[in-house]
Amino acid sequence: MIAFCLRRALWMVLTLWIVFTATFFLMRAVPGGPFDGERALEPEIEMNMLRRYNLDKPLHVQYGLELWNYCRGDFGHSFKLGDYTVNQVIAEGLPISIALGLLALGFAVSLGLLAGITSAVCRGGWADVALMLVATIGIALPSFVVAGICIIFFVFLIPLFPAAGWGELNQLVLPALCLGAPYAAYIARISRTSMLDVLSQDHIRTARAKGVGPVRVVMVHALRGALLPVVSFLGPAIAGILTGSLVVEQVFAIPGLGSHFVYAALQRDYTLAMGLVMLYTVLLYSMNWIVDLSYAVLDPRVQLE
Amino acid sequence: MSIDNAKQIGPRSATQGMSLTQDAWRRLRRNRVAMLSLWTLAVICLLAFVTPLLPLQAPDFTQTSLQYAEPTATPFWLQTLELDTELIARTPGAVAQLKTKLPALEAALQRADEQFDRAAAALAEDLTHDQRKETLIAEQAQYDDAWYALRQKQAEIQDTIQQPYRKLGFAQLGGLSRWMVQMRFTLFGNRSINSICGRDLLGRDLLSRLFWGARISLIVGLVATIVSLTIGVTYGAVAGYFGGWIDDAMMRLVDVLYSVPFIFVVIFLITILGQEDVADKLAYWGIDRITVFFFVVGAIYWLTMSRVVRGQVISLKNELFVESARSLGAGQMRIIFLHLLPNLFSVVTVYLTLTIPRVMLFEAFLSFLGLGVEPPDVSWGLLANEGIKVITPVKIYWWLILFPSLALGVTLLALNFLGDGLRDALDPRLRDE
Amino acid sequence: MAFNARNAFAFTAVASLLAAIVWATMGSGLPPADFTFGNLSEVKSFDPAIISGQPEGNIARCLFEQLTQRHPETLEPMPGVAESWEVSEDQLTYTFHLRKDALWSDCSPVTADDFHYGWRRLLGPRTAAEYAVLAWYIKNARRYSRGGSGISPGDPVEVELNLPLDAINSLRGELLHGKLVSLDNDLDPDRRTFLVEIDGQQHRFDPVDDQDAVGPPPAGARWCRQVLLDFREVGVQVLDSQTLRVTLENPTPYFLQLAGYYPFSPVNRRCVETHGNPQWTKPENIVSNGPFNVQFRRIRDRIRMVKSETYWNRDSVRLNVVDALAVESNSTALNLFMTGKVDWIQTVPPAALRIMLKQDPPRDDLNPAPYISSYYYMLNTTRKPLDDIRVRKALSLALDREEICTKILAAGEIPAYGLVPPGLEGYSGATCAAEDPEEARRLLAEAGYPEGKGFPRMDILYNTDEAHQTIAELIRKQWQRELGIQIKTRNEEWASYLSSHRQMKYDVSRRAWVGDYADPSTFLDMMVTGGEQNNTGWSNAEYDALIEQAARESNPEKRRQIFRQSERILMDELPIVPIYFYVSKNMVKPYVRGFYNNIENLHPVWAMWIDRDHKGPNEFMKGRP
Repeated sequence: MIAFCLRRALWMVLTLWIVFTATFFLMRAVPGGPFDGERALEPEIEMNMLRRYNLDKPLHVQYGLELWNYCRGDFGHSFKLGDYTVNQVIAEGLPISIALGLLALGFAVSLGLLAGITSAVCRGGWADVALMLVATIGIALPSFVVAGICIIFFVFLIPLFPAAGWGELNQLVLPALCLGAPYAAYIARISRTSMLDVLSQDHIRTARAKGVGPVRVVMVHALRGALLPVVSFLGPAIAGILTGSLVVEQVFAIPGLGSHFVYAALQRDYTLAMGLVMLYTVLLYSMNWIVDLSYAVLDPRVQLE
Repeated sequence: MSIDNAKQIGPRSATQGMSLTQDAWRRLRRNRVAMLSLWTLAVICLLAFVTPLLPLQAPDFTQTSLQYAEPTATPFWLQTLELDTELIARTPGAVAQLKTKLPALEAALQRADEQFDRAAAALAEDLTHDQRKETLIAEQAQYDDAWYALRQKQAEIQDTIQQPYRKLGFAQLGGLSRWMVQMRFTLFGNRSINSICGRDLLGRDLLSRLFWGARISLIVGLVATIVSLTIGVTYGAVAGYFGGWIDDAMMRLVDVLYSVPFIFVVIFLITILGQEDVADKLAYWGIDRITVFFFVVGAIYWLTMSRVVRGQVISLKNELFVESARSLGAGQMRIIFLHLLPNLFSVVTVYLTLTIPRVMLFEAFLSFLGLGVEPPDVSWGLLANEGIKVITPVKIYWWLILFPSLALGVTLLALNFLGDGLRDALDPRLRDE
Repeated sequence: MAFNARNAFAFTAVASLLAAIVWATMGSGLPPADFTFGNLSEVKSFDPAIISGQPEGNIARCLFEQLTQRHPETLEPMPGVAESWEVSEDQLTYTFHLRKDALWSDCSPVTADDFHYGWRRLLGPRTAAEYAVLAWYIKNARRYSRGGSGISPGDPVEVELNLPLDAINSLRGELLHGKLVSLDNDLDPDRRTFLVEIDGQQHRFDPVDDQDAVGPPPAGARWCRQVLLDFREVGVQVLDSQTLRVTLENPTPYFLQLAGYYPFSPVNRRCVETHGNPQWTKPENIVSNGPFNVQFRRIRDRIRMVKSETYWNRDSVRLNVVDALAVESNSTALNLFMTGKVDWIQTVPPAALRIMLKQDPPRDDLNPAPYISSYYYMLNTTRKPLDDIRVRKALSLALDREEICTKILAAGEIPAYGLVPPGLEGYSGATCAAEDPEEARRLLAEAGYPEGKGFPRMDILYNTDEAHQTIAELIRKQWQRELGIQIKTRNEEWASYLSSHRQMKYDVSRRAWVGDYADPSTFLDMMVTGGEQNNTGWSNAEYDALIEQAARESNPEKRRQIFRQSERILMDELPIVPIYFYVSKNMVKPYVRGFYNNIENLHPVWAMWIDRDHKGPNEFMKGRP
């Protein structure tokens, strides 16, 4: 276990370094600098500003300096949000994005599991067909279309929820739903399939033969086995939620990291974009780590490499 | 669908007369949903292919007087502009004449290039970059002029070919499409189906845009998936077959790449490659934004494929038939490509049908960010985006959202169901992996 | 063991979910503001010296007060921090008398020194202020801004020395005053050294950044931060703590308007020098003198401002808590407005606007009004075939501006045939010819592209925005329809778009300009040779001469004539193709009072108040039938 964690930690550092290098050179490759405002700067002033941000130094020197800063945890100042350091932007946006992501994940897992299990238990019935159809629709439409349709129905036609913003309870529902919808759909399908598999196995037949009630059969005997593929799907699901939040945050005007990231990348706010890329990588990596750990915990047959 | 009754009893009998594929096909046929999806997809692909033949209005024909027209079916047939067949008849002659001028221009460009190189070589060593540029200004200008003249002549040739179609409101058409459009006008004259799906802000017919958009969306989906497939299968097969430290290293790389948030890469790449001078050079070689898409998007989705293929190869590696091939003296590459890959067919096909939807959704996402296909090209993602943008509390142009969403939704649903069916049919054991 | 781990896992999952919900709702419980408005996008900063956008301006005007204030309806310069002023005969010297009761939010008085400090900061080359240009009307200000490039031998100079690396970054180094003897290595700005005579002795100075000044300087030279024109030569003088004298380069009739523009804000020296850049603008540090103070700021969410208790005119400010929301998407902003969460939004999606204008009975919260802003296409005249004036004329003649304005824009935008928008007092501009496709085709054929054949593939560049995209699409189709040429459109986000302009890497580009003040020069000054906004490569000596002449002319009627002449040249040569003049698309709730449509689309928040009992149309709706 310890060896596993240590090895993972080492790989994370390596991954981060590779991502850092790749992003660094990619961003420098894009023409135009971060100081393009509407007014042209006097050459001396431009030189001064470049000097201040180390942009006049040769590329490898810049790389070294920035790497050193990153190791110390200093991500620098955002170019576009002049008053803020990248750390401050992250500090403001990360909790919001995490909250949104967790909520979406919660919706996805609970709704998905519910749908999948019900479907599997009522196999072949109209509930099965209906639920699977709805589930597949969730995968078949782009998230901004789903968001738009939700807004039409639940904000305008039936004024249940507010249109945008963040802070109150009712502002959380729609964004989390839209974000979690595709993953609920996937989870529904996966859990249905694995549930069906488990239900057809011998130990279930034994339990039924022994007279165990159907609910107990499902919940106690079948569920654990059926959960495994769902858990292994969580890794990519979390990755997807992190990136899917870009759309949802824009549409619902949520001040999370997703929208900061889009603007940073499009506006070539080097420092902020770099910081966010590194953060996302860490998040992704840790989530995969946790998922692998939990997989091992849930299934005694699996051994951590 | 569960095939719990189809468990094989005993080893696969060597006397079975049916090949694996036929067996799979039979199983697929029994799955009604999957067959329905297959037929739906076949119809969609066919319609997309023959779009230029269909009596639709032109996708890029703006009539702002009809903006935001609601869907209407009366009258069913509309009169549109005629195709200028005389002009088309005269085109080959005009093009041939223009083409005779090309060699001279190409030679001029070549000469200017050589002159530039000679002048650059003759410069002193210790000049700064700016000083070099100063001295070479004349040669640079000559090169630029020659380049410009050549591009202009090529543009003129293209314009002459495309002109009769452009006037009517078609985007750039390839050779086959042009022939099909000509057929369409011969068959249907200048009648077109009315806008039964309504019109957009510039009065363009949504129905025809849906059809023409299907071509781009489906091609993007297919080609990008094939690119990712090629990379993924080769990578996974090699890793799985060689095993040992090669396998380890290659899979570690995949793990690392898994953690990279690819959205960033894509945005950067598309921004870089959209820069004016870069885009111009690429356009010279016939690479436009869509081609860039194929490769960028394809490069994202190969990771899962490589993992799955590797897993399959590892389990296949130890099967008897590989042993026998090796004992017969087959080389490693031969074993990989001739013996192992065909057995991956099932996995690959399933993956194909499940990745295409993701690619199409990704294209829609890029359209949302403004990085998708550019006008006058159309794609379903672009149409969906346009529809969403005009949702306001006061008015919802429902047809602009409904029809693109339907198109996307039906296609992706079909692909998903087909993928499920294929997975069940090709190898019931796959579900346990 | 596994059982416990599994349960623990499930337990943690549920617990984190609940924690997420609790955290997310912790942000709620915000008491509602008196007045909420949509502020278009997240602001770059609160520092008045380094901002230049409209959203930033809205906030800066709430936080800082300048010498003059603009009347919310007539836009007349009214007394602000300055309670009175005198203008000399030749209109070159302004003497402002500051009121004694103007206070900073830390209760210290606002003095002429604060303006002197703020304006010097604005002009200083190291600040790299985008709007320093506006202050160049002041005598010698431009030379000061140009740093080492603005001085020549014989000028009085100031030498700013370096500070140690751990010093607060907003402090100025020690200043030495002397006279410039010579510059060396003049061609390469990077290694320029300055020979300065100070108190009879000559010293050589080598300007470097502080971090490079740690090591020993080259032989015979001393390190310094910069060598500039002595600021005492610049026309900003502190006569005493309540009196500021400003000397201008040329008679500038709109200077009083400019003096009320946010780049000319006073800045509290003690605050800036204690906290440094950019920490001094943090809500807990900032010291401001305007009608509102910042309470808190959440990025991409909102900026909350509260009424200042130290503002001299606080009795006339009738709003206590104001929220500026940073909503980028204009459809989201509209949704918020319609659901009652926002009281004023500044732009409306065209699709909705069209419907809303036709509603019957007419709405009571929408009243589009023209303002001085111009939308045009720049043509890169250094590229073929745009260097040929016939081609440019053809492109302009083939445009159907009416179609664009009525079909796409829908707020009553005015088709433009000139650069300067209407509504400027007494000025009627020169115009280019109206739509004439026949003539356009003839000109294009004459230029060598009959029926558009062989016309190179050009790009229309625009910054990513739905409206610009639609207009570019339509113009592409119009040019295709009338001229037979094939054009593509290309979008870039704002920073790349500006960079492309700067580097002239475009063929045709969309551009817009909002007047900084109500005078034709804010538009026409742009197009001089080498002008910062003139990224077309166009240059006309006669035009330059006329603009220069206008700057020196003090008779208003003569000025206008000169401007008309210059616009005539512009419209004859067409380096830019005018498309339309903007119409403001504000939507304001009926209970908001004190909001007026005006020619500059300037709406100061301090003049507004909420009156829910008010019956009948508010001031905003004036003029709407």
